[in-house]
Amino acid sequence: MTNNLLGIRQLDIDQIETLLAIAADFKVRIIEGRPVPKITDKVVGMLFFEDSTRTRVSFEQAAHYLGLKTANFAAGASSMSKGETLKDTILTLRYERLDGLVIRHRMSGAPNLAARFFAGPVLNAGDGMHEHPTQALGDALTILERKEKIEGLRVAIVGDVEHSRVARSNAWLLTKLGASVNFVGPRTLMPPNSSLLPGRVYHDLEAGIDGADVIICLRLQRERMAEGLLSSSGEYAAMYQINQRNLAWAAPDCLVMHPGPINRGIEVDDFTADGDQSAITAQIENGIFVRMASLYWVFGGTVAEVMA
Amino acid sequence: MRTLLQNGRILDPAQNMDRIGSVLIENDQVVQVGDVELGNVPADEIYDCTGLWIAPGLVDPHVHLREPGSTHKEDIATGTQAAAAGGYTTICCMPNTNPPLDNPALVDFILDRSASPDAGGVFVAPVGALTRGMKGETLADLAAMKRAGIVAASDEEFPIQNANIMMRAMEFCVQLDLPIMAHCEDTNLSNRGSMNEGAMSAMLGLRGIPRSSEEIAIVRNGLLALHTGCRLHIMRVSTWGAVEMVRQLKFLGAPVTCEICPMHFALTEDMIGDFDTRYKTLPPLRTQIDIDLLLQGINDGTIDCIASDHSPHASYEVDVPFEEAPFGTAQLESSVAVTLTYLTHKGILSPLETIRKLSTAPANILRLEAGSLKPGDTPVAQVTVIDPNLEWTFDRDKTFSKSKNTPFHDFRLKGKSLLTFCGGEIYRDAMFGADRYQIVTSA
Repeated sequence: MTNNLLGIRQLDIDQIETLLAIAADFKVRIIEGRPVPKITDKVVGMLFFEDSTRTRVSFEQAAHYLGLKTANFAAGASSMSKGETLKDTILTLRYERLDGLVIRHRMSGAPNLAARFFAGPVLNAGDGMHEHPTQALGDALTILERKEKIEGLRVAIVGDVEHSRVARSNAWLLTKLGASVNFVGPRTLMPPNSSLLPGRVYHDLEAGIDGADVIICLRLQRERMAEGLLSSSGEYAAMYQINQRNLAWAAPDCLVMHPGPINRGIEVDDFTADGDQSAITAQIENGIFVRMASLYWVFGGTVAEVMA
Repeated sequence: MRTLLQNGRILDPAQNMDRIGSVLIENDQVVQVGDVELGNVPADEIYDCTGLWIAPGLVDPHVHLREPGSTHKEDIATGTQAAAAGGYTTICCMPNTNPPLDNPALVDFILDRSASPDAGGVFVAPVGALTRGMKGETLADLAAMKRAGIVAASDEEFPIQNANIMMRAMEFCVQLDLPIMAHCEDTNLSNRGSMNEGAMSAMLGLRGIPRSSEEIAIVRNGLLALHTGCRLHIMRVSTWGAVEMVRQLKFLGAPVTCEICPMHFALTEDMIGDFDTRYKTLPPLRTQIDIDLLLQGINDGTIDCIASDHSPHASYEVDVPFEEAPFGTAQLESSVAVTLTYLTHKGILSPLETIRKLSTAPANILRLEAGSLKPGDTPVAQVTVIDPNLEWTFDRDKTFSKSKNTPFHDFRLKGKSLLTFCGGEIYRDAMFGADRYQIVTSA
């Protein structure tokens, strides 16, 4: 049986726990130099219609460890630039006999469309403002390592929630596993109606991160100033930067996370980004293991097989 | 040639008539309505309308026929065939073609093509562009287009953002006695949104179109109509606030009317599910609270008429990421059934008011020779026979429209138009029983 990984919202708790268990096991094996299961008979297409460095490298690494072959596809160099529709590109890759697709796209829902026309599994590597499921899985693995469990944790997601696929996927995943989530940020960067999103909205940083066990900072895009949503990055930093002073409002051992790339001095100050409470580098590394688990899982791999 | 529509429920809002009776069409004219006296000469053909409604031919004020320029989506022949099958005898076609309908030569072309034998046999009343190229800058040749036959002017999907240009356009249209049909949208507020701004857009990560985008433009255009005296027809209202604004404008005495499309009273934004582009329309599908207050506005007459906003698109244009997909859906062949299912059978509209909103009201708003069964009111007989209780499943693969982008595929609907007469019979549905039709042979 094959699966898609289009978003966290559609996953149930068992599926999320399976993915995290496989990832944790793969991590131990890789670090200890023990073998991992190989999927050498499959080829996965890497469709990055939007620029990405870390997610792309992370998926390439994951595929490499699993013995999967990858076929690279950059939108600019492809037939998409000759006017081919996404549907036809997907159909082409299907009949090129690719076994799976990893897709990043600037349009929300593009992977859902791809899954309609592709025969094998489709993995979402970030779509518009919708979801970024493997980022959320990597963050969850990181939190599990440092906090041992997710249930009962108080998590604050701080910044540009409205435009963030990371915020959405993390909120779905963490609340499904029993954490509570606060969305913290200015009104202009919050969805006007968040009633279908699993979190409470705060505009005041102190109230929003009060007693938080985990703070996830979101990247602030420069376009937001041009769009009139913020006056300046300085004003944003003054109101929402996570730094040594306001970290005192959170729980004493609060974990600070950031999906990258960081604007140092804006979302988070240097000292905090590099400090003991920061999990930023662990997030990057764990991204590889959850992407291994995701690739393994979409092709029908189970926990039992990994443990065997 | 005498055609008798026998023993149906005659619903004619133009005469405030709701009674059981018959309609006699002689050659291409309605000659008797109600108690028909045949005299010594029998009818040549008889349609048994027992249990059915006999109504004036339906009028659709808002249809996109796509010709010229986008005939892969629809053309005048297929669009008018779809209209006939949908129960319509008069439709207004929108000017956002390619090139736009902004000059009298194109008006002639549309009228010519719609009268050709391969077309569906319905009347097509063109709506001309309000500004040249629908660019919102300079007025189109409205006087010349009026002479050529346009019934209204509109910039349709490219609403004029500059209030001063809109005011000048209205002043000129007052002189021409030409109504303006306005799609009301402040495009700065819509800001490239693709669905209603709300809980669903937040969840799906799609840019939202706020209700205020529509409501502000309605108020602006309504106040300009009040002060200039220009007749303003507000197209496709979709929010509870929009209905309330129209109510206030009418209270102030502004010469405004408005329409609603079936999608907006039948469906909510929830239908979009996981990015289903068949539910992408403009204005976007809203929420249940909007529908509740839209229904009230339909019931109390604030909303004057029902328009299909038939917006066909090819499948390949719709099978794309949600934000890339065009707005609008194919509607001509489902609108009547959806109206009966969601309004009439739910007690929002009486049968007579249903026909008023589907026929007489849009005909009056745009001063079309339609919407009446009274002998002599229309140039030729325009009659639609509807089975209000027929339950059927809408199947996009059995439609006349070139485009299959319907939001109602597989919907179970109650009510269907079965016969359409425009002059003579232009459509007879397979669900109109063969035993109901009889050719009289005089011995």
